Amino acid sequence: MLHLSLGSWRRNLPSLAGMLALLAAPVVHAQSQDQDSEPIRPVPIFSAGLAYNTFIQGGTAHLHPLVSPVILIPLGQNWLIESRDTFEIDLAPEPGSSGYKGSLQKEVDYLQVDYIANRHVTVTVGRFLTPFGIFNERLYPVWIRDLQSDPLILPIAMGPSGAQTGAMLRGGFDATRKIEVNYATYFSTLSTINRLDSDRAIGTRAGIFLPGPRLEFGGSFQHLLQDDHSNAFGIHFAWQPPPVPLDIRAEYARSHTGSGYWIESAYRLSQAPVWQNALRHVQVVGRMQQFFNGTVADDALPGINTNLFEFGLNYYFRDDIRFVSSYGRQFAFEGNENVWNLGLTYRLALPMWPGGGK
Amino acid sequence: MIARRSMLFLALLLAASTLLLARTAAGQEEASATNPPPAASARVQHEDDEAARAEGERRFHANCGRCHQAPHKFPPRMMATIVRHMRVRATITDEDMKLILRYMTQ
Repeated sequence: MLHLSLGSWRRNLPSLAGMLALLAAPVVHAQSQDQDSEPIRPVPIFSAGLAYNTFIQGGTAHLHPLVSPVILIPLGQNWLIESRDTFEIDLAPEPGSSGYKGSLQKEVDYLQVDYIANRHVTVTVGRFLTPFGIFNERLYPVWIRDLQSDPLILPIAMGPSGAQTGAMLRGGFDATRKIEVNYATYFSTLSTINRLDSDRAIGTRAGIFLPGPRLEFGGSFQHLLQDDHSNAFGIHFAWQPPPVPLDIRAEYARSHTGSGYWIESAYRLSQAPVWQNALRHVQVVGRMQQFFNGTVADDALPGINTNLFEFGLNYYFRDDIRFVSSYGRQFAFEGNENVWNLGLTYRLALPMWPGGGK
Repeated sequence: MIARRSMLFLALLLAASTLLLARTAAGQEEASATNPPPAASARVQHEDDEAARAEGERRFHANCGRCHQAPHKFPPRMMATIVRHMRVRATITDEDMKLILRYMTQ
């Protein structure tokens, strides 16, 4: 064992300082390199989805304007505050009158704080969209959805208004070079506050995405911690085969209130051999869905077994503005009917901070 | 006794300094081996950028196309917010987010 006197420490101090300086140099150099590659500073954004749709169902016309503003406020490198509200009116003809009447519906779709804890986990607190299946969280906005009507099974396990209030862990990570895993798991609390209502429940959703074939599949589960303590589960599937502009998506959901599925296929005619200038803006959509009644009634779901076939034609003026149209035929025990839709959808996004547009 | 200890300490310092210098030299050799001359370095950098751009484009279409049509490019600071939003909303991975952001801001 080596013992050094105080005198020898003092004499050798310059040498020690020199050594420490040498050892520290690469670290300081690396830090200065990190500071050089400063990340892009995100800026708050105001975005909105707007739509004006005319639905004709069973011979009755409904005019349906909708505005859905979204606000995104990033804080630092790991935080995000985000919210989306929906303002919509369903204008329908009033019996005995020639005019259309309806009242404004307002909803807080989500108002949440996200903390990106690390590469694998994001912590979300507040009011968030129920992570059950893929439609509610990812395909719901009017400027995204290929057909403007909701799937029949959408209300299953969604809670009172498609959202829950509580806490959630979610994220995505590479399991291997060819497999990505994504998940969301949450706890929500009972709330009866107007426009912020929520069920007391726990739930989870997990999915696997294969980036090569662009194939995704997964499952969802929810357990209510109130009333009848019922369970709901679902599976989802999405595929965009890389060589062709085709989207195939499907969901199945089951609970005590009912069960059913939808399968949708959308094809963008960007590879059409003729009239390409015009046809590359056109998207052809088809969707089939079935709903089967459950043991407990739910006002948001059809009251009886229902089949619905829809065919749609969308025209993209740009990526953010499009004309939408569809025809559907609904088959149900109480009577069959046609469902028509014509409309326009638009999405805007603006910076909310000076210099954010640069 | 003290002089002997000092000598021993200095010898150890010398040995440590020699090791450090050897390590630094090896690092420089590695750096010079991995860092070709300026022209070649620029070419390698360009190839790296192209590879990252191609990978970013591939991941952009694979991830963003899962839900919606490919949007046009936004200004970089807006894009940084949108990609963070998509990381949460669409549960895209950290690596996807970085590559897509790089592609969308080039």
